Amino acid sequence: MSVNCNISQENNQVIISVNARFDFSLHQHFRDAYSQCVDQNINYVLDLSHTDYMDSSALGMILLLKDHVDLHASKLVISKPSDTVNKILEIAQFHRLMTIEH
Amino acid sequence: MHIKTQAKLALVVDDSMTQCMMLSALLKEEGYQVVVANDGACGVDKYVEHQPDLVLMDINMPVMDGYEATRRIKKVSRENLAPLIFITSMDTDQAYIDSVEAGGDGILVRPFSPQVFKAKIKSIQRISDLYQQVKNLQQEQQKDAELAKIMMSDVIESRNFALNKVGVIKQAATMFSGDMQLTALCPNGDLHVLLGDFTGHGLRASIGAIPVTETFRAMTKKGFSILDIVAQINKQLCDLLPKDLFFAACFIAISEHDKSAYIFNAGLPDGYLFSEDAEIKHHFPSVHPPLGILPKLISDAKLTVVSVGSSDRFVLITDGIIEARNEQGHEYGVAQFEYAAKKGVLINDIANNVVASLEIFCQNMPQEDDISLVDVPCSAWQEDNSADQTNQPHIPETFIVEDIFYDASPSWSWRLELTDNLLASVNPVPIIMNQINEIEGAGEHWQSLYTIITELFINALDHGVLGMDSSLKDSAEGFSYYFKERTKRLEQLKSGFIRIELCYFPFEYGGKMFISIKDSGLGFDIFNVLKSNSCAQSEGINLSGRGVELVNQLCDTLDYQDNGSLVSASYVWHNTKQYRVSKGIH
Repeated sequence: MSVNCNISQENNQVIISVNARFDFSLHQHFRDAYSQCVDQNINYVLDLSHTDYMDSSALGMILLLKDHVDLHASKLVISKPSDTVNKILEIAQFHRLMTIEH
Repeated sequence: MHIKTQAKLALVVDDSMTQCMMLSALLKEEGYQVVVANDGACGVDKYVEHQPDLVLMDINMPVMDGYEATRRIKKVSRENLAPLIFITSMDTDQAYIDSVEAGGDGILVRPFSPQVFKAKIKSIQRISDLYQQVKNLQQEQQKDAELAKIMMSDVIESRNFALNKVGVIKQAATMFSGDMQLTALCPNGDLHVLLGDFTGHGLRASIGAIPVTETFRAMTKKGFSILDIVAQINKQLCDLLPKDLFFAACFIAISEHDKSAYIFNAGLPDGYLFSEDAEIKHHFPSVHPPLGILPKLISDAKLTVVSVGSSDRFVLITDGIIEARNEQGHEYGVAQFEYAAKKGVLINDIANNVVASLEIFCQNMPQEDDISLVDVPCSAWQEDNSADQTNQPHIPETFIVEDIFYDASPSWSWRLELTDNLLASVNPVPIIMNQINEIEGAGEHWQSLYTIITELFINALDHGVLGMDSSLKDSAEGFSYYFKERTKRLEQLKSGFIRIELCYFPFEYGGKMFISIKDSGLGFDIFNVLKSNSCAQSEGINLSGRGVELVNQLCDTLDYQDNGSLVSASYVWHNTKQYRVSKGIH
């Protein structure tokens, strides 16, 4: 499975990591990874350090995640995007919309 | 051709008359009409003739057995799924396997009760109905896709301006592209260009194309600035599109007479400005998230302004080019693109050179994403229309005597005063042009008026209210400094006003518009501007003050008072054609 979801109760953290290709084929898996979390004040981390390709529909999926996070008064951080992925985030100027940690 | 009536039609193929009668009776109870054949060959003929909805087939028959008949029937009915059931008393595994191999959809072993027979017919009919439904849906989808394709390419893009001057690559990954390329001419002769890429591709990606096109064209025509258009398209798409669909797009407004261009890149790869000798003069990286995500543009969103030479070219691309992959999984990338584009500039065919280079790189790999490029020259889009342009109606060739008597009182007048921070946020020119169009109707002759009002308003704002020095624009560095400084002063603007008044005098064959614009500034030395312009212009070096020069040419009278803080202009137009017709002049 190329979407992993790690929920840690202790520090209210949900870590979602996407491996290899992040594209439309992951649509359902990606949604499933977070849609069950309806608690508030959660720190969501989207780990893209092992993602080596991302297309524009992946950007759309990140926006949906962001929407979910905002709706539940939580926080979203994109963590360690690889160079290729970072280039795409940069073109889309996503650092204007959310926090990206390198 | 057989025309299907309400009742379904079944074909029974069996050499036993008794069997035929028994099956026919059961089928009729289920509401079928029945056709009968007594051997396989005859069954095939009847099938072709009647195109039944259901076939019941015996296995052992004279002339041609059931398997062979089934194979032939399935061969001729590739399009239609009429379910075929074998009816047999051979209760062996081999009979079952052979009947499925031959193309049968089911088997019913004798003896069976009428209830079992009817249940079998019902279940097989259900599957066939589903198949029909899927087929209908597929056909509808195909039709929708074709319609959308026609809308996209024929309706949207064929209405683009200066098509023959703009180089274009457009290769859709699926039947139609989520990429779009638009060009439209502003009332003052500037060119607006858009290259955009909706998330994903195919039909889903192209639903936003129609509202974007309408807004882009309508607002350009009404004279809105490119940033106003970007903001409006962004708002519209944010309202219209689902959260995960957005529009990466780059906009350019090119002014041929100002030798400048404004660029706004929201989510596309770098745009380029190439010089004639293939040097990259500027990169235009993305400065804003794609449109349709945020309800409003980010507050510091602003245009990049550059001065352009008349033989410079803008090149915009979507990510499909850079991200195209070859069999080894390598990306085409920015470096190869730039190399191919530069070579393309030198042979004056960027689009084809890039396409050729991409093809060599990707070999036979299927294309994953839509691929688009536009190549826009910075001048001479209007060459084709130049014959009409030289003979504009704004400067009357001959003085028409009876017009004097129409000059007494205005038929209407109109006034707008903008104050304080509204000066930074409201562009009055589209509002004014809208008023004029509302009252006097649309017409080509308002183009020049648009230019006059735009130039005079901008002079009043820049040199009057903001106190900008126009000589700054004389050098390329000063030019960009000028726009930075102007933006800063606009943001800090606390007080000031600009008052615009219009008076319209209709003539029998045309009309006259008086425009007066008063600003709160200290004034500026208009004569100096004009004088330094004409000196500089003869040397062909200055970038500033063309506005006043141009207005002077377009206006009947142009008059600066109050040390330059009040300007009055009059613009006269004659409908020469109508006049000539009514006077019998040819």
